[in-house]
Amino acid sequence: MADKRVLIVDDEIHIIHVVAIKLRNNGYEVISADNGAEAFDLAMRDKPNIIVTDFQMPVMTGLELVEKLRQHEETKDIPVIMLTARSFAISQEQQDELRISGCLSKPFSPKELLGNIEDILYEKELVTDN
Amino acid sequence: MRFGRSLYVIVTSIVACSMFTGTLAKAQNSGTEEGWCLAGYAQRMPVALVCFVVVAMGVILLGWYWLRLARAITSIARLIKDGKANAIGNGKGFFASLRMANIDELCEAFDKHFDDCSVRIAEYEKQIKDLQIQIQLSLRREKNAEAIIYSIRDAVIVFDEYDRLLMANEAAGRLFKFDFSNSQHTPLTELLGADHREFAGFISHCRKSKGQATRREIELLEDGDSKTFDCIVSCVYDQSRQVCGVVVVLHDITRERQIQQMKNDFVSHVSHELKTPLASITAYSEMLVDGETNDEKTRKEFYSVIQNQANRLSRLIEDILNTSRIESGLIKVNKEPVSLTMLIKEQLQMIKGCAEEKNVEIVGQKPIVFDQVYVDRDMMSQVIINLLSNAVKYTRSGGTVKISTEVDEVASLVRVIVTDTGVGIPEDEVERVFDKFYRVGANKKQAKGTGLGLNLVKQMVESVHDGRVFVTSKVGVGSTFGFELPLATRQTVGTV
Repeated sequence: MADKRVLIVDDEIHIIHVVAIKLRNNGYEVISADNGAEAFDLAMRDKPNIIVTDFQMPVMTGLELVEKLRQHEETKDIPVIMLTARSFAISQEQQDELRISGCLSKPFSPKELLGNIEDILYEKELVTDN
Repeated sequence: MRFGRSLYVIVTSIVACSMFTGTLAKAQNSGTEEGWCLAGYAQRMPVALVCFVVVAMGVILLGWYWLRLARAITSIARLIKDGKANAIGNGKGFFASLRMANIDELCEAFDKHFDDCSVRIAEYEKQIKDLQIQIQLSLRREKNAEAIIYSIRDAVIVFDEYDRLLMANEAAGRLFKFDFSNSQHTPLTELLGADHREFAGFISHCRKSKGQATRREIELLEDGDSKTFDCIVSCVYDQSRQVCGVVVVLHDITRERQIQQMKNDFVSHVSHELKTPLASITAYSEMLVDGETNDEKTRKEFYSVIQNQANRLSRLIEDILNTSRIESGLIKVNKEPVSLTMLIKEQLQMIKGCAEEKNVEIVGQKPIVFDQVYVDRDMMSQVIINLLSNAVKYTRSGGTVKISTEVDEVASLVRVIVTDTGVGIPEDEVERVFDKFYRVGANKKQAKGTGLGLNLVKQMVESVHDGRVFVTSKVGVGSTFGFELPLATRQTVGTV
């Protein structure tokens, strides 16, 4: 599991901090950014296995980040989990269209987030193996 | 025709007989050969007898015709009596009924008929007067209806069963750019124009569907501004329950929609702002409960985060409640004469620790002789502390925050000015910094905030104390926030 890299994007430093501890405790490598633009640069450079991003952020929102990721060959297949404090902020159509793997509503459980990350990466591994 | 011809035959016969007897007598006297021949013939017929026969026949015929004429008149009288005088025009009916006995009956019948006619004419005249009154009433009602429709602020348009314009008020004319006086009976599609073809189709469809009132929200341009209208199309029914037109009422709900949007945005913002610290509290608590922290230092750090986020949540809730109380007018205001210099001094003490922590210098002001204002002390303290803490938050280490007051004796007001050497605000965002939940995009990373602090300042200064807030800023140079309040009058100071 040590080779799994997770990019966490949130403008709340406390959220990044707590999620990073949870993931590191479970063998993940964590990189972080506090806005969409910075996250995109990191994704292009470090090629994370999965991205966990907040929905509402300055400079570039979570949705804008995913749209941009899907437009580039290097990042178009990276699974994304969206964290949102606003219910119904993202429609199912938008999720399907942008291939967002999951949405977690704030306040969220770090355990639940970890479970989602593991499920998504496992599913991706199976698809790749086949 | 037959009667006239018979009369002509009788008269002609009488005249012919008279001429024949006259000629006979003349021939006897003249003694001509021709006359002789005739005389000879006459000699074979007795002259007196012939004359008698002719006269008798004439009398009989006259009597017979008189009888028929009398019967005819009687019949006419009967017909008139029966109210069927028109039958006289029927020749067959007329001659078949020539059975008149007495001309007086006819006169009597005509008198009665004329009497009936007079009664009827009187009735008709009364009916005409009634109708004229009804017409006048209808015209008055129509004018009243027009006046009502014209006085309605909503746009009202009435179309007939052929989708042609019957009535419209000024609001409708303004909205669809037509003048009613020149547009009566204009077809619907032509009146509304190509831009509103879909709307015209909707109205027409409503009329054809003959259903109950139909409602729809539509977007229209008025004076270049996009506006939302609540459109109600109702069919108009005549006495036989047939649709004879439609009434279209357009009520401008732009403001309601904006308020609704603001409410939605407010709820959305509040939800986001509340959930953000709550998310941290939940996550850190769970980590502690699950034993994810290995050392005491990390655990303390987690406790600290939870405490800070809980305080943030508490402040946020307090700010939201204060905003709501001020907006609804439910906040309790205790105004008293307060020296702004003293109030500023107190708040400077409170912000001192935070400024020192950030290495930001705070520059106070010299005392002013008379700067008393008639305000709610707690609210004004919050206004000053909000401005000072904002200035400190957005000023980098080594920067300066200065607070001062000015008294404008001419305008009878006092001005409080807070100037910082902070990051500044982009020009296009300066006007919005007092909006609820608004945060300058580029400065969000600089400090945490809810976007309610400056809104509260504005509400407390302007809504509660009849003052005015102001701001000027330049990116990279700094900002100046301030407010002005009316100076307390000698009377208000003296009342305490």
